[in-house]
Amino acid sequence: MSRGNHNDGPAIEARGVSKRYGRTVALAPIDLSVARGEFVVLVGPSGCGKSTLVNMLGALERSDTGVIEVAGHRLGRGARHLNHFRRMEVGIAFQLHNLIPRLTARENVQAAMLGAARRRDRVERSEELLDALDLTARANDRPPTLSGGERQRVAIARALANKPPVILADEPTGSLDDDAAELVIDIFKEWCLEGGTVLAVSHDPRLSSAGDRVVTIPVAAEGG
Amino acid sequence: MTFIGLILRNIRARPLRSALTALAVAIGVMAVVALGVLTDSLNHTATQILEIGEADLTISQKNTDDIINSTISQEDIAKIGQVPGVRRAVGALLGTDAYDDQHPLVIEVGLAPEDQAPFGVNILEGRSYGTDAANEIMLGYVFASSVGKRVGDQITIDDNTYTVTGLYSTNVSFGNSTVMMPLSHLQGLNRLDGQVSLGFVQVDKGARVETVGKAIDEAFPQLATIATASDFGRADRNLMLIGAANTGGSILAALIAITGVLNTSLLSFFERIREFGIYRSIGWSRRRVIALVIGEAVVVSVVGAALGVALGWGAINVLQQLDQLRGIFQPIYKADIFTRSLSFGLTVAFLGALYPALRAALVAPITAVRRE
Ligand SMILES: Nc1ncnc2c1ncn2[C@@H]1O[C@H](COP(=O)(O)OP(=O)(O)OP(=O)(O)O)[C@@H](O)[C@H]1O
Ligand SMILES: [Mg+2]
Repeated sequence: MSRGNHNDGPAIEARGVSKRYGRTVALAPIDLSVARGEFVVLVGPSGCGKSTLVNMLGALERSDTGVIEVAGHRLGRGARHLNHFRRMEVGIAFQLHNLIPRLTARENVQAAMLGAARRRDRVERSEELLDALDLTARANDRPPTLSGGERQRVAIARALANKPPVILADEPTGSLDDDAAELVIDIFKEWCLEGGTVLAVSHDPRLSSAGDRVVTIPVAAEGG
Repeated sequence: MTFIGLILRNIRARPLRSALTALAVAIGVMAVVALGVLTDSLNHTATQILEIGEADLTISQKNTDDIINSTISQEDIAKIGQVPGVRRAVGALLGTDAYDDQHPLVIEVGLAPEDQAPFGVNILEGRSYGTDAANEIMLGYVFASSVGKRVGDQITIDDNTYTVTGLYSTNVSFGNSTVMMPLSHLQGLNRLDGQVSLGFVQVDKGARVETVGKAIDEAFPQLATIATASDFGRADRNLMLIGAANTGGSILAALIAITGVLNTSLLSFFERIREFGIYRSIGWSRRRVIALVIGEAVVVSVVGAALGVALGWGAINVLQQLDQLRGIFQPIYKADIFTRSLSFGLTVAFLGALYPALRAALVAPITAVRRE
């Protein structure tokens, strides 16, 4: 991973990026560019590879083809400092939340900051996020006892914990009621006003109408 | 939440499993503590025999199973007395007998009255026995008070009745629990006429102990000269066997404990693969994941080690009650028993958790999002 200058170039740049698993084409080659401060909503039919793209942008796996640059970091073969990248440069709110069942909502948020921030800052930041996402009352509860919408918001709080320049949110409002969805949308908008970038995958019209721009991924061609 | 807090949380989340792992380590530490204390103590008790004669060199028969079964002829002792550099050589016969249930193993020392003073025997009360008196005995003062006998009382040991002529102390505490009688009488009882068990040699002032020892070794190839406790360990096959049993037992205990920790950590690893993937996906380094897994094992093992020290202490108390060991096993706790147990716990934790920790560190971040 080569470190670029954080002040110029797009927040997310993908060119000719594709992925297949065996004979399954998970993502047909795609180009995507998101500017700093932009709030982009990614739509496309189920199975077209939206989550796959998010995983690659978050450096959880490598693309088969193409070039990816996120927050000035070139990902792909030979990329280095990936732990730092995953922790500080990008925050992912997963489609399936991926919370740690044994830890409380608060601890799930703090786990992302272990070793990255001082204890007092970890506490302060987690309280701030739980409050912003209306989770203070559930802070000491564990994921198995939380509702789907609550889990989703904990996942968003965790993604924001280290204040990464780029947020990747996979169906962040799928199980949220209107009030909660509005809360999340406001947080994302504010994030972008402060210079952050949000790429949200969503079928939710509430979200796509709130974004600066909607990008559509066409369905992957079988066998490609 | 701190990193240590997370470790404790993970341990508490599986209380039964953690407790059983701690127990495996505890049993290992218990074995190490009990074997270690037993070995140290038996060594100590045995080597006190060396010190009792206030001798520079102790002479025993070569290659004897137990130093107490060593036999040397009195003529050899007399000849040793003539070796240049030897100031004095005294022979003593050692025997054992049961007195009663509380004193199943009493050590009898057969010693000529004139050899008592050079041997370091200090008469506290009464007088010595006659040179060939068959019915006179002296008691170490600790033994005397333990059996409630005083000067002038009668005492019966193995169907022989004696009059107690005196009480004595010796330079080592072990000697105070023995009884002493004329050499010729103990030889007669044991059908060992003309034989003693050990010789005690004091060298001339200015003579070197090693030089004199070498001269004796050369002149008497059937005998072994013992100058130090470790020489003694080599001369006494039983002590060698105890030492080997201690080493072997400790290794076995370590393997059992390591297997216990490995089993738990590996089981947890398989259950937590996704969790490790999540940690990696939110930016934890491999090193941090390793620290988490090993940290959990270390905490459990250290708790187990502490429990093991307590269990070991209990085991020693049980051993002390065993008839076979009563009287010869006085536990000696060396200060390093705690550091030894702690390092045992840490080693077991590290070795047991290393492989699962490496497996955990190698879980790919993408595992977090894979559907089961
Ligand atoms: N690990 C994998 N192995 C095999 N196939 C996979 C794997 N991950 C994803 N796929 C396949 O790749 C395709 C794209 O998956 P992906 O999860 O990216 O879709 P998506 O656009 O996020 O769909 P949805 O809107 O339902 O979340 C699907 O056909 C999926 O079955
Ligand atoms: Mg998806």
